[in-house]
Amino acid sequence: MHIMEGFLPVAHAAGWTLASAPFLAWGLISLRRRLREQPEQRMLLGVAAAFAFILSALKLPSVTGSSSHPTGVGLGAVLFGPLAMVPVGFVILLFQALLLAHGGLTTLGANLFSLGIVGPFVAAGVFRALRGLGASLALGVFLAAALGDLATYLTTSVQLAWAFPDPVGGFAASFAKFAGIFALTQVPLAIVEGLLTVAIFNGLARFNGEELRRLKLLPGQEARA
Amino acid sequence: MLIDRCAHASPWRRISPAAKGLFALAALLGAYLAPSPGLALGLALGLVLLTLAGARVPLPDYLGAAAPALGFLALGCASLLFSLGGPGGLAPRFLPEALDPAARLGARSLAALAALLFLVLSTPLPHLIALLRQLRCPEVLLDLMVLCYRMLFVFATVFRDGRTAQAARLGHAGARRSLRSLGLLAAGLLPQVWLRALELHQAALLRLGDGPLRFLAPSFPRARQELAWAAAGSLGLLLGLGVLA
Repeated sequence: MHIMEGFLPVAHAAGWTLASAPFLAWGLISLRRRLREQPEQRMLLGVAAAFAFILSALKLPSVTGSSSHPTGVGLGAVLFGPLAMVPVGFVILLFQALLLAHGGLTTLGANLFSLGIVGPFVAAGVFRALRGLGASLALGVFLAAALGDLATYLTTSVQLAWAFPDPVGGFAASFAKFAGIFALTQVPLAIVEGLLTVAIFNGLARFNGEELRRLKLLPGQEARA
Repeated sequence: MLIDRCAHASPWRRISPAAKGLFALAALLGAYLAPSPGLALGLALGLVLLTLAGARVPLPDYLGAAAPALGFLALGCASLLFSLGGPGGLAPRFLPEALDPAARLGARSLAALAALLFLVLSTPLPHLIALLRQLRCPEVLLDLMVLCYRMLFVFATVFRDGRTAQAARLGHAGARRSLRSLGLLAAGLLPQVWLRALELHQAALLRLGDGPLRFLAPSFPRARQELAWAAAGSLGLLLGLGVLA
């Protein structure tokens, strides 16, 4: 994902920015309230942002002015919830643009919608649904991270297909083209990200179990995913 | 981080970030307003020369910073030249009529990328964060930026230390052990940094620091003058594009 600077037509760039703005405002309000109640989470959110920044910097060239890479937001969404990940996603994307020229300022809104909004909401939804159904922590974390990653890429494919519909087949053909070519690199990357997230979660449970219990992710004695 | 290093080494780091930000914004607008691919390419070339000659960014570093984005752009424009729809089913079909829109898109993206690189290669990130603070960006977002920037260096230190320790114990002797070591390091990185972050929080609390991390803002004594020059340059750029249109 990460559509590059200047790649989207102006109406699409502005439209996605407007679509992302209310989520960012909502996320900021929620984050401010949360940090008032649990100030120790400030540092941890900084860690989650830096971690996602590093993971999403491991990029492979892909088609359509975009790239393939793990997103790293699934773990943050499971730990802190999807709303907290919207401002975190904004910071990651801004830093990617300013420190790596990856993504851009004009495409910040579109990239935030896919990586900072759709990805974390899907990841958190999958995790909660699976845990609600009695799935193990490992399966929940794995599928949350992998499906959150894939949802991000599907959203990017929708954004690109909408901006650049196929002259013959229209939106559907364009979406099939973008999503199909993304899938070559992204499906294996999503699986790797899922496995890595489970390994990291196990590490956190081992060394930072108290924090995970405070985040209501480790009820009682369950200490490993 | 190559861009961060170039920005800290550039003599233009002493110029007000507001002035450079304004000019970069005008250049981004110019990239979108340029009526022809030729003009957009001209704008891109001008911005590249300005960054190389003015901000004194070495050419190899500039190319290194731009290379990934240029690779993506080349693939992106090429993919727009093919269609998967139509009577041939999903077989890719060359679209000659897509050449012109792809050229426009490529030129616009190049100009926009050059504008972004002009800003980031001449302005260190802490200066941009200070600019965002001046522009009344929400405090919680700024705090998150400062923490994220700090944690990037903590991650780098932990990674380097872990890798050195693994190498000292022959953890990279052979492909199999190397892969195992890398996996262990990747899985252990976040929990380690997480612990350090909690320790940093506790250390800050012990020093009665329970609010956002604040640093001295860099000062730019000629900021007004520089902003005026940037405004004039921006206006000239946009008017020039308008006249040439």
